[in-house]
Amino acid sequence: MIIHEEICVGCGRCQPYCPTAAIRYDGIKSRIDQEICYECSTCLRAAHCPVDAIAESPDVYDYPRALRRYFSDPSATHAATGIQGRGTEECKTNDVTRRCGPNQIGVAIEIGRPTLGMSILDIQKITRAIARAGVHKIEPHNPIHSMIANEATGDLKPEMLGERVLSAIIEIQVERHELRGILRTLKEVAKEVDSVFCIDAFTVVGPGLSVPEEVLESIRAEGFTWRPNAKVNMGIGRAWE
Amino acid sequence: MTHSLHREGSLDSLEKDYVLFIYPARGFNYKGSAPKVRRLVELLYQAGPVNMIPTSLRRNMYSGVTNEEILNSITVEGTRVYSVFNDREKLKKALMLIKEADEGISIMVSGITDRVRELAAEVGIDPHMINLSLGIHGRTDRLPPADIREFTTMCGHGVVSPHLVSDMIRRVKTEKISAFDGSVLLAEPCTCGIYNPCRSAELLREKAPLYTIDRW
Repeated sequence: MIIHEEICVGCGRCQPYCPTAAIRYDGIKSRIDQEICYECSTCLRAAHCPVDAIAESPDVYDYPRALRRYFSDPSATHAATGIQGRGTEECKTNDVTRRCGPNQIGVAIEIGRPTLGMSILDIQKITRAIARAGVHKIEPHNPIHSMIANEATGDLKPEMLGERVLSAIIEIQVERHELRGILRTLKEVAKEVDSVFCIDAFTVVGPGLSVPEEVLESIRAEGFTWRPNAKVNMGIGRAWE
Repeated sequence: MTHSLHREGSLDSLEKDYVLFIYPARGFNYKGSAPKVRRLVELLYQAGPVNMIPTSLRRNMYSGVTNEEILNSITVEGTRVYSVFNDREKLKKALMLIKEADEGISIMVSGITDRVRELAAEVGIDPHMINLSLGIHGRTDRLPPADIREFTTMCGHGVVSPHLVSDMIRRVKTEKISAFDGSVLLAEPCTCGIYNPCRSAELLREKAPLYTIDRW
């Protein structure tokens, strides 16, 4: 995003809207630090500049900077997947798709969330760690998949490494007995990255929303806990196509 | 969107915060889904969500858009709907109506697991899958304070800025804006429509006395 200096009246109204504090005063005018800006367009969409000084950067869709827009602007349609959003339907439609079976567990690593974002160099640290742990299949319908140069090593395309994104989701699926190993890997790589990520674990439940003990035991064994709130697929969808 | 399971706050506060998604599955029930999703949104209105956005319009309930405009926008196959409720009983009513309608579209609910379990039993639904939040990891020292995150994690994509929250606390404290109007402004950047302005207003009233007045 850019602010047209000749139009800006320096009211500062846009500044708190930026999730990453990229908008600051430069003299008496507001200016966007292009290095920090995630191209999420929140300032353009929500700050209501009184003089319409905020605009898209001319290079916002130039590769690889375009990654910032695709991963950071929730309303942007991702070029690699053709859909809005950084993830897939994951557990949201599993009652219909049955992508994740009863003996499997889905793990989503929500990169840069909440709010901090992450450099793609740091994302590569996570994809490499997952590959070293023996998981070479990142969900193919997830936009992260299109960034991978080498599935065996988890290396991402080198030209992307200088970019950063507000959020991205690495989705993998493993057998339930492999969950402990993945969690151990994530615990270790958390020490290497300069940002944050959230971990999700999704599994088919038993009657009365009972979570399989094998899953809970794996989580406890690696020293993790789970929040009292969760996302639940209510199981009332069906396929007809 | 996945982030709705990571909403932070006290249990008392989370008791007033339930997210409900209507989600057709690509390749499985996309075709012919639009009229069914529209019907489900009509039912949601009867239950009284405090915010809602269909992906066909991307404008929340406080943007000046009318209910008819929201409903009339749902003509695209695969339109998803994101909504939030601030009351367990309203959510229960929504689930009862949705179950009765039996449109076959996937429904997700994010909220306190014990409450969702109770509601499912009361409505007679047998949930299929749970997505557990195993917390935040890495440089957690770089995160904004926990009380600010109670606001920012209500937006799944992290575009409700911590600085805007601080600014809004200042404006509420100095009586420049009411807690609810401030919350509507906080909800605006969230294009998913799952920012809960009622819970946010309560949080603003609760936090304002704790903060000194300063520029964000």
